[in-house]
Amino acid sequence: MSGQTTEISAATAVLPEPRRRPRRSKHRPAWEGRPSVGGQALKVVVLTAVVLAVVFPLYTVILTSLSTQAETIRVGGLVTVPGELTFNAYTQILGGGTVTRAALVSTFITLVGTVLSTTVSVMGAYGLSRPGSFAHRPILFVFLITMFFGAGLIPTYLLVSSLGLINSYWALILPGAVSAFNVLILRNFFMGIDVSILDAARIDGAGDWRILGRIVLPMSRAVIAVVALFYGVGYWNAFFNAILYINDNAKWPLQLVLRSYVLQGVTLPGSGVGQVDVATGAVTGLPIKMAVMVLAIVPILIVYPFVQRHFTKGVIFGAIKG
Amino acid sequence: MSLSELVRRRPPVTPGEAPPPAPAPTRTIGWRVRLKRDRSLLIMVTPAILLLGVFAYVPMLGNVIAWQSYSPYTGFLHSPYVGWVNFERVFTNPLFVNAVENTLIITAFQLVFFFPIPILLALLLNSVVTPGIRTTIQSIVYLPHFFSWVLVVTVFQQIFGGAGLINQTLRDHGLGSGFDMMTNPDTFLVLITMQSVWKDAGWGIIIFLAALSTVSPELYEASAVDGAGRWRRMWHISLPALRPVIILLLILRLGDALTVGFEQLILQRNAVGAGVSEVIDTYVYFQGVVYGDWSFAAAAGLVKGVVSLALVLGANKLAHVFGESGVYKRA
Amino acid sequence: MNATPTFGRLGDHAVDRRRFLGLIATGAAVVGIPGLLTACSTSPTPSATNPAAAAGDVIPKYIPVTYIDPDYPSVNGSVPGYESIPAELVQSVKDAPGTGVVYTAMTPLWGTIPPTKGNKYYEAVNDLLGSEIQFQITDGNVYGDKLATVLASAKDVPDWVSIPTWNLPPRFGSEIVENVFQDLTPFLAGDKVTPYPNLANISSDAWKFCVFNGRLYGLPFPGEVITDAIFYRRDILDGLGITPDVTSGQDLLDLAKELTGGSVWGAEDLWNTAAIIHAVPPKWKLDGDALVHRVETEEYRAALAWNAELFASGAVHPDAVADLSGEAKTRFQSGKSLIANDGVGGWHEAMRDNLASNPEYWQQPFDPFAADGGTPVLWKGNPANIFSFLKKTDDEDKIKELLAMANVLAAPYGTTEYDTINNGVEGVHYTRGADGLPVPTDLAATELQPTYIFLVDPPLSETHVQYPGYVKAASEWKAKAAEYTTDPLFYAQQIVEPQQYASIGQPFVDLEKDISRGRKSLDDLDAAVEEWRASGGDELRAFYQDILDQQS
Repeated sequence: MSGQTTEISAATAVLPEPRRRPRRSKHRPAWEGRPSVGGQALKVVVLTAVVLAVVFPLYTVILTSLSTQAETIRVGGLVTVPGELTFNAYTQILGGGTVTRAALVSTFITLVGTVLSTTVSVMGAYGLSRPGSFAHRPILFVFLITMFFGAGLIPTYLLVSSLGLINSYWALILPGAVSAFNVLILRNFFMGIDVSILDAARIDGAGDWRILGRIVLPMSRAVIAVVALFYGVGYWNAFFNAILYINDNAKWPLQLVLRSYVLQGVTLPGSGVGQVDVATGAVTGLPIKMAVMVLAIVPILIVYPFVQRHFTKGVIFGAIKG
Repeated sequence: MSLSELVRRRPPVTPGEAPPPAPAPTRTIGWRVRLKRDRSLLIMVTPAILLLGVFAYVPMLGNVIAWQSYSPYTGFLHSPYVGWVNFERVFTNPLFVNAVENTLIITAFQLVFFFPIPILLALLLNSVVTPGIRTTIQSIVYLPHFFSWVLVVTVFQQIFGGAGLINQTLRDHGLGSGFDMMTNPDTFLVLITMQSVWKDAGWGIIIFLAALSTVSPELYEASAVDGAGRWRRMWHISLPALRPVIILLLILRLGDALTVGFEQLILQRNAVGAGVSEVIDTYVYFQGVVYGDWSFAAAAGLVKGVVSLALVLGANKLAHVFGESGVYKRA
Repeated sequence: MNATPTFGRLGDHAVDRRRFLGLIATGAAVVGIPGLLTACSTSPTPSATNPAAAAGDVIPKYIPVTYIDPDYPSVNGSVPGYESIPAELVQSVKDAPGTGVVYTAMTPLWGTIPPTKGNKYYEAVNDLLGSEIQFQITDGNVYGDKLATVLASAKDVPDWVSIPTWNLPPRFGSEIVENVFQDLTPFLAGDKVTPYPNLANISSDAWKFCVFNGRLYGLPFPGEVITDAIFYRRDILDGLGITPDVTSGQDLLDLAKELTGGSVWGAEDLWNTAAIIHAVPPKWKLDGDALVHRVETEEYRAALAWNAELFASGAVHPDAVADLSGEAKTRFQSGKSLIANDGVGGWHEAMRDNLASNPEYWQQPFDPFAADGGTPVLWKGNPANIFSFLKKTDDEDKIKELLAMANVLAAPYGTTEYDTINNGVEGVHYTRGADGLPVPTDLAATELQPTYIFLVDPPLSETHVQYPGYVKAASEWKAKAAEYTTDPLFYAQQIVEPQQYASIGQPFVDLEKDISRGRKSLDDLDAAVEEWRASGGDELRAFYQDILDQQS
C-alpha cells in the first residue's frame, strides 16, 4: 500500500493545475467527490453546535461587561438579556492612563520576548533535528528535564535578584524564555521535512545556517507561527513574575494592572472599613470583571488571523517552488 | 515504508533527479569527526542551553531543601539536613493515596475523552471546503481558552447548576428539580472533562492545523484520482500527517499524567468534596504550599518529576517498539 | 511548575503553579476576603512566638485622644459611630515630621494600581509627612508569595513592610522578625510613646498583638471586635409581611425553609453563622483545667450538625451548595437568597452598591442569639489584622522619623490627616456635597488608593453618614453585640506553633464542607479528630498547656 502511495506522490508534481468545472461549489476541487447528504448534515450540526457553545457564553460575557452593576445585581449574575447598557466599565478601566501605559509595556515585553524565544527555540530545535548528530540525545535530555523538574519560587527569586534584574523587564523575559515543549514541537516538525531535500542542499555545499534559513524556515512557517503564538500568549498573559520582580508600579504589565481592577472594592478582612469607599466612587463588580476578560482577549483577536494565514493548505509548496 | 515516512518524504522528488545519497551510518564515524561536522548545530543549541542552564538549572539546585528543614531566612546553605523525612511525609499521609488515585483516574479518562477531540475537530475543520466558513469557525473556537477557570465554572453553573437554566426550566414546567450536575461527585469526571473540552479543545486544534497545512493538496488530489474516497484520504493522508505530532503530544501528556487541572479542580473541590477532586497538585498545595512548608512542596515536586520523567521515557521506549520516533529517536 | 502540554501555558512554564495560586485567589478570595479572617481560626496563621513573657511592660501606654465626640460612643470596645461629617477639622500633628528623604514601603492593595508619578494624592500625604514614602504595591491576593521571596533576600527588604496576619510566613516570630525588623520596644514601650500621641491612642490589645518574643515589633491596623454578622434582606421580608423573630438556631432553620420557594432560596452557606451561634471557639477553650481544641468541642459538633440540617432542608441556594462563594453577595443582593453571613464591613458596601438602583434596599443583621436560645457568646476577633514592620537599622534617628510619620498616619477621625489620607485633597479628589459629604471626582478613581492605611491605622470609626439610617443602625447593633463579646483563650497573643503541626488541621476544612453537604457524617468527624490527636494534636495541646502554665 505504501509503495503505491509513493508513486502517487511522485506523480503529483507533474500533474497540471486541476481545471474547475462549473456548477460545483466554487471552493471544492474538481477531483473531490460530492459528499453524502447525511455526512454533510452531520458536519453542519456538529460545527453549529461547537460554534454556538462558544458564541453564547461569549455573548453573555460581552453583554455583562456592557451592563450596569445594578443590572447584574438585579439578574443575580451574568446578563443574558440586554437591559440598561453602558460603557462605564470600559471607560473606567481605560480612562486612567495606567492601562494604556501598561499596554505599551506588555506589547514591548511580548514583542521582544516572542522574537527572542522563537529565535532561540527554532535554532535549538534545528540543532537537535538531525538524526545521529553529536550529543543530541544528552542535549535533548537537558531540555526534557526542565519540563518535569521545576524550581521553587524563592531560589528563582534569589537568582534574579543576584543577577541584578529586579525591576528590569528582562526579569519578565529571560526566566521563561525557552520552553522545552515548544522546542520539541518544532523539532518534531523539522524532522518531518524530507531528508533528501536537506541532503541535496548539503551536497550543493550549503551549511546548516543556510539550510535552516533557506529551506527549513520557509517550509515550517505554520509551526513557527504556532510556536510564536504560544510564546506570545505566554508573555502577554504572564503576570506572576511581574509581581515578584517589578517593584516599580509604573513598570507593571497590562495583565497585572487589569487584575487590580478585579480586586477593586474588596473589603478588608475584619476591619469593617471598605478601603476604597466613598472616596473613589469606583465601579466594581461583575461588569468590570467581564470587561477585563474581554480586554484580555482583544489582542489575541488581532493577532490570530496572522497566524491562521499560515494554516492554508499549499502555502509551503509555494514557498519551496518560489 | 511506514505511513509517517510517507509524509516525511514529501515534497516528491522530481523524477529523473538522482536519488539522494543514503545518510552516512553515524556509528562508524568517530566523535571528533562528528563534533566537527555538527559544529554549527551545537552552536545553534547553545543559546537555549545557556538560558535553561541559568534560569532553570541553577534555581533547580534549590530543591536541596527537600532534604532539609528549610526556612527562607536561614537559607539553603544553613538549613539543617533531615534526610528523607519530607519524602516520608509526602507518602505516609492517607490523603496522598486518594490524591494519586484520583489523579490517575482523571488522566486516564481525559486521555480517552479529551485528547482525541482536538484531533477530530481539526480533521473536521480541515474537511470544510469553503475557506470563509473554515476560517470563521477557526477564529471562534479557540476563544474560550482565554476565559479564566472561574468564568468557565460560573458559566457551567448557570447552565447545569441547581438554579441553572436547565433545572429552572424543568422546575417552571413542573418537571421536578432535575439533576444538579455541579454538585454530584458521581458525574464529576464527566463534568470536568466537558469543561476542559469546552475551554481548550479549540485551542488544541491549532497545532494539528499546522501539521495538516504541511500536506500538499496535490497529494489528496492524486489519491482521489486514484479512486480513494474521502474516508480513505483522511485515513491515508491526513492522519499520517498528524501522526508524529500526535505521538509526541501523547507521550508528553503521559509525562504529565500526574498533573491535572489544578485550578479547575480547586475551584470545584467544595462542590463535590475532596473525595473525588483531590489530586496530587491540590494535595501538595494544601499540605505544603498553603502552610509555607517549602521543604514538603519541594519533596513532592521531586517525586512527581521522577515519576513523570520515567513515564515519558517509558512511553518513548514504547513508541520505538511501534516504530515511532517519539520524543527522541534511537540513534 | 511543571510544563504542561496543554497549549495555553507554554512559554511561562516556570511560574505555572504560582499563577494558579494567584488565580485561585482571584476566584475564591476576591469577594471572599471578609471570610478569610473568620476562617483564620482554622486557617494557616501559625504566627509568632512564645508570648510567655508578659506583654504588659513592652507595649505603649494607652492615652486616648478625642478630636470630635462620637454620636454613638464605644460600648465594650465596639466601634464608635459619627452621624455627621465634622465641619472643622483639626490638624493633629502641626509640623510635618519628616526630613525630606525618600523611604520605600511595601504594601498589598486590593484595588486598582494608582499612578505613582505626579499623583496629587500621594503628594498631599507626603507633604503632611515631610518625607516621601515610595510605595511598592502588590496585588493583595498574592502578597504572601511576594513577602516570602522578599524576606528570603534581606537586601531587597524595603524600609517599611506591611504584613497581613494571614500572610505571616512560618517561623516569622522565631527567625525572621528579630533578624530583619527593628525592635520598637525602646522607642514605644510605656511612656516612651508620648511623643506620638496618635500611636498612644491605639488600644492596648492591638499593640499586644504586635509583640513577638516578648518584644514589640509591629505597628497595628486595628480590627473589629466583632467581625461577622448574620444578615437578612429586611426590605424583601417586609414585602412578604414577615418580621423575623429569631432567637434560636431552630428559628433560623425554620425561617430559611419558609423563605425558600420558586427561584428564591432562604439562605447561603451559613457555616460561619453556625459557628457563631454555637459559640465555637476560634482555637482552644478551657474545659475545667483541660485544653480542648476547637475541633474536639461539642460546640463544633453541634454547629456542623446544624449546618448539615440547613443544607438537608433544601433552603441553601444551589450555587452555594456548589460553593461558588465568590458570587454569594450578588445572589444575596439580587434577592435570590435572603439570609447570608458576611463581615460587618459588607453592610455599608452593600448599601453603596445597591441604594442608587434600589432605594428600598436594606440588609439587617439579626440580633445576637445562641443556638439553644440562651445567652450568646461572641468571641472577639483579632485586635489587629495587618501589621507593619520597620527594617532593622542602627540609625535611631531614622526609626524615630518613621515612627513620627506613623504618628501622622494614625491620626483619627476628625483630623486633617485622616481626611486627606481617606478622601484626598478637597477640590482635587472630592468636593463637598450636601451635609459636607465628600463627593469624589473622576481623578479620585485614578489616583486615590490609600495604601498608607496598610502601614498603621487609627482606631476604627463608623462614619458612613451617606447611607440614611446606617450609622445609627450599625452602631446600635455593634453596641448590642459587644455586650456578649468574650476573650477567647490566648487572646491577642502571638503564638508560633511548631511547623510540623501546621497542616494537621487541614482535613477539617474539607470536613466542614463535606458534613454540611451531607457527603460525610459526624462519625467521620470522630475519626478525623482521632487522626488529628494521633498526628500531633495531643502534642500541640501539650505545647499550649506549657504556655498556659507559664502564664498562670
